[in-house]
Amino acid sequence: MSDATLTTAPAASGTDDTDYNRPRRSPFRWLVLLLVTFMLLLTLFPFLLAIVNAIKSGVDYARNGPLSIPTSLDFSALVYFWNLSDFGRKLANSTIISLAVSLLGVLISLLNAYAIGIGRVKGSRIFLVVLLLGIMVPQESIVYPLYYMAKATGLYDSQLAVIIVFAVLQSAFGTYLLTSVLRSFPKEIIEAAEMDGANRWQVLWQVVVPVLRPSLMVVGTFFFIWTWNEFLIPLVMLVSNNNQTVAVAMGLTRGQNMSDPTFQAAASLLGIAPTLIFFLIFQRTLTRGVVVGAVK
Amino acid sequence: MKLSTLALALGAMVLTGGVAHAQDKTFSVWWFEDPASAQGTAWTKALEEFKAAHPDVTVNFEQKTFAQLQASGSMILNSDQAPDVLEYNKGNATAGLVSSQGLLTNLDDYVTSQGWDKILNEGDFVLSKYDDKGIYGSGHVWGIPANGEYVSAFYNIDAFDKAGLKAPTTIAEWEADMDYFQKQGTTPLALGAGDTSGQHLLASLAYTKADDTWVQNYQGLKAPLDGAPFLYAAQTLLDWVSKGYISKDSTGMKDDDAALLFMSGKSPMYVSGTWNLGKFSSTIKDFKWGQFVIPTAKYSVGSTGNLWVIPAGAKNPDLAAEWISLTLSPKYQTELANAGGVAIAADPASITDPVGKNAVTVFKQISDNNGLGFYPDWPVPGFYDTLNQKDSGLFQGTLTPEQFVDEIKKVYDDAQENQ
Amino acid sequence: MTDSNNSATEDRRSYYFYLIPGAVGFLAIVLIPQIVNFALSFTAWKGVGLPRFVGLQNYLKLLTDVQFWGSMQHTLLFIISMTIIPVMIGLVLAALLFDYVRDEFGETASSIFRAGFYLPQILPVTAAGVLWGWILSPVGVANTVLKAIGLGGLAQNWIGDATFALAAVSLVIVWIQVGYCLVVFMAGLSRIDPALYEAAELDGAGWWQRLITITIPLLAPEIFVVVLTTLIAALKVFAPIFVITAGGPDNATLVPSYLTYFHFFTTQRVGYAASIAVVQTVLTVVLAVIFLRFQASQEGKS
Repeated sequence: MSDATLTTAPAASGTDDTDYNRPRRSPFRWLVLLLVTFMLLLTLFPFLLAIVNAIKSGVDYARNGPLSIPTSLDFSALVYFWNLSDFGRKLANSTIISLAVSLLGVLISLLNAYAIGIGRVKGSRIFLVVLLLGIMVPQESIVYPLYYMAKATGLYDSQLAVIIVFAVLQSAFGTYLLTSVLRSFPKEIIEAAEMDGANRWQVLWQVVVPVLRPSLMVVGTFFFIWTWNEFLIPLVMLVSNNNQTVAVAMGLTRGQNMSDPTFQAAASLLGIAPTLIFFLIFQRTLTRGVVVGAVK
Repeated sequence: MKLSTLALALGAMVLTGGVAHAQDKTFSVWWFEDPASAQGTAWTKALEEFKAAHPDVTVNFEQKTFAQLQASGSMILNSDQAPDVLEYNKGNATAGLVSSQGLLTNLDDYVTSQGWDKILNEGDFVLSKYDDKGIYGSGHVWGIPANGEYVSAFYNIDAFDKAGLKAPTTIAEWEADMDYFQKQGTTPLALGAGDTSGQHLLASLAYTKADDTWVQNYQGLKAPLDGAPFLYAAQTLLDWVSKGYISKDSTGMKDDDAALLFMSGKSPMYVSGTWNLGKFSSTIKDFKWGQFVIPTAKYSVGSTGNLWVIPAGAKNPDLAAEWISLTLSPKYQTELANAGGVAIAADPASITDPVGKNAVTVFKQISDNNGLGFYPDWPVPGFYDTLNQKDSGLFQGTLTPEQFVDEIKKVYDDAQENQ
Repeated sequence: MTDSNNSATEDRRSYYFYLIPGAVGFLAIVLIPQIVNFALSFTAWKGVGLPRFVGLQNYLKLLTDVQFWGSMQHTLLFIISMTIIPVMIGLVLAALLFDYVRDEFGETASSIFRAGFYLPQILPVTAAGVLWGWILSPVGVANTVLKAIGLGGLAQNWIGDATFALAAVSLVIVWIQVGYCLVVFMAGLSRIDPALYEAAELDGAGWWQRLITITIPLLAPEIFVVVLTTLIAALKVFAPIFVITAGGPDNATLVPSYLTYFHFFTTQRVGYAASIAVVQTVLTVVLAVIFLRFQASQEGKS
């Protein structure tokens, strides 16, 4: 049978017929690598633009435009933005909020998914659909009510309000994803544990969670990144500069009538650094999968 | 660290993070002008003097973003988080709205007690007054401007000199100048057609055909739209596009892109507002540049600047009034002008910076003549977006000038009927 | 699968406790605000002061609002760029990276690729708007490159010409979305028993066949999740349009969320905005229910 239809190179010859487990070392691999690398470069090109312009001086930009190599390195835009926005503090705020939402959101999702995906409680399908409302509603439609509720509970201009809001909103996605995965969780493992005398709580934490870890990591990572870049609700709910997040601080690069594009480039780069690091750290755990069939 | 420990630590940080400090005398002031801008520079200096004058007061300044005030300004004013004084956008949709909701302090008494009526003329107060429906022009004074702004044509003096051209004094002369450059192969007028500069150029041309009645009706939503001035403007613009004075591609450019074309010397002209002065001063090093007023009988696009407003619940309204007076003082008005800004009440003779001096002189000219026509998007909330959208249609050729006027008339009249 | 039924009913009920935190949060953050929003849709309100009851006026206006119907049309197009294309690219890429690249070049290589493709998801949308503005502007990278390689005739006014604006924004959306699909699929792939692939290979199945017959069916949970969530996101899409075309040129790229934002915060016609949001939400719910039913029936089959 012929090999992959994606490439046009002829089928490789000279493979060892007895080597069943190793994929054929064909020239394909380089073609595929080339293809994927090309796609990656295309994907990353805009970032190159950002880097090039973040270190460009204003005069250079005015003279030569965004597509030119900087004539000299100028980090003043980065430094200026850092000081102007009190960036250290914004980083701390964003980190606290995103981490808290990540943890809380995953927890809520896990509890929900456990009840729906494994417990199969009555009406769980309806509950899932209803929960999904959390991501279906446009955020603008809940801003005014949330504002008034926050004012009434004294949580206006507090990070706690933002954390609660996002933990709930994000958990809609988390519940859905984890439920989908848990639905195909082998019942035998759970029954085995129950027969050993474990109660629901123990089954959750000692049996289900370890297996679910990669999915939990995916969900947690997403929550962190999505919350980090959230703009509208933090903009409305966080008033004092001391409480604001990185995403809101980006607004400093856009004035009433004009914006400074090199400034925006610089701000964006500073803004994505933490989420990038977060993602890279958790990337490793994303690859460690647990083979479900091994239990058998 | 253990997950539970991390969670506890986070919880602690969050709960203590938002604790409010209730001090005896805390004065808070906000603005959203960039610190490097003329206003930012001048006001920061003023703030230092203010702090020194009140050693017993904790002065809190917060640099705000325009986006935040625009989206949630009324929400902030409606809460305890509002400061003692802040910069707010002028106009019915912004200052008018919140004043009509009772969120601001009436400034009538301060106007006389602080002597602001001696510093600002009648015309300067037009956008400070709003009636109980939130319409400008009459009623109590709710905000005080400290600067002005207007739209003009920026031009490359060196390029003009080289071409043997002078700044035009009539529209015909302007077209001749553009024709010259077009024949040289350059795009004479850079423009963000679907962006702010697009609608400001449109309005500038429309205002050249506007009389007092028209402007008052238009801005005051007093009657259905008389589209004649806009028709003239739309036809002229389309004519300019067909002649190549403005590129058809300009619908794909934002103001920043168009400004860049001007700053890099590719286009010799760019129509936009005085808010560009700071950026141009600091980044254009390769050629001499200046502004010429768009030739008009009386009206130009421009207005008094953003307002200082005092929220209704401000704890230190007297200090707030003092702050406003400080920014209106000759010292800081001159300071503003010397930083390249359009001071509203500075004596041109005392200004040393040429850019600021020119800007103040021009503004004074227009303002003394009562020629501030304000901005085209003011009458109707959301009209800014409408004009942007319809402008792109016009420049792209999907809308004829007549259709253009019809579409904006529809939106305008709808708002006018349903006031 | 056996069903433990003796203490089933009693045990079943204890599961309900696990739903309490989620339910409470949902009530406070989603349900009550939605009810308020629904109520607001029958009023005229400026966001401050008291709402004024106007009955069905907002909905009647909506029926004749040309912008609204245009935005609905555009949404259908964005479903393609936000759901269909990214899912397809994501699947193929995930299989390529996880299967081929990882086997041939190692874990690190495939991780680097994944991180790279995911990067657009991390970038704040306002920044993406600036960067893509530089690329798609009439004097930007795209046209410059086209001219340089002799295809100058293809250079367009990507953002400012109604004919191309939708495509331009769609491109940016695909760029942003692929990373999300990729990461979810790759995580799912780690669930699949490699023995299945080995067995298939022994049978002589090629890479593409393995993808169709093994990978995709086994990745069904992840695929369903990604399709539904990107579908919902497509119906709600706002930020890329806001920062690149601002709904233009002349409303050519307008979407419902842009309209709601416009009326909630710019024109301050909160009641009207609320009615648009209600219609948007109802549509999304209907679509989601249809999809979930479909998912359940598919899962039932397997």
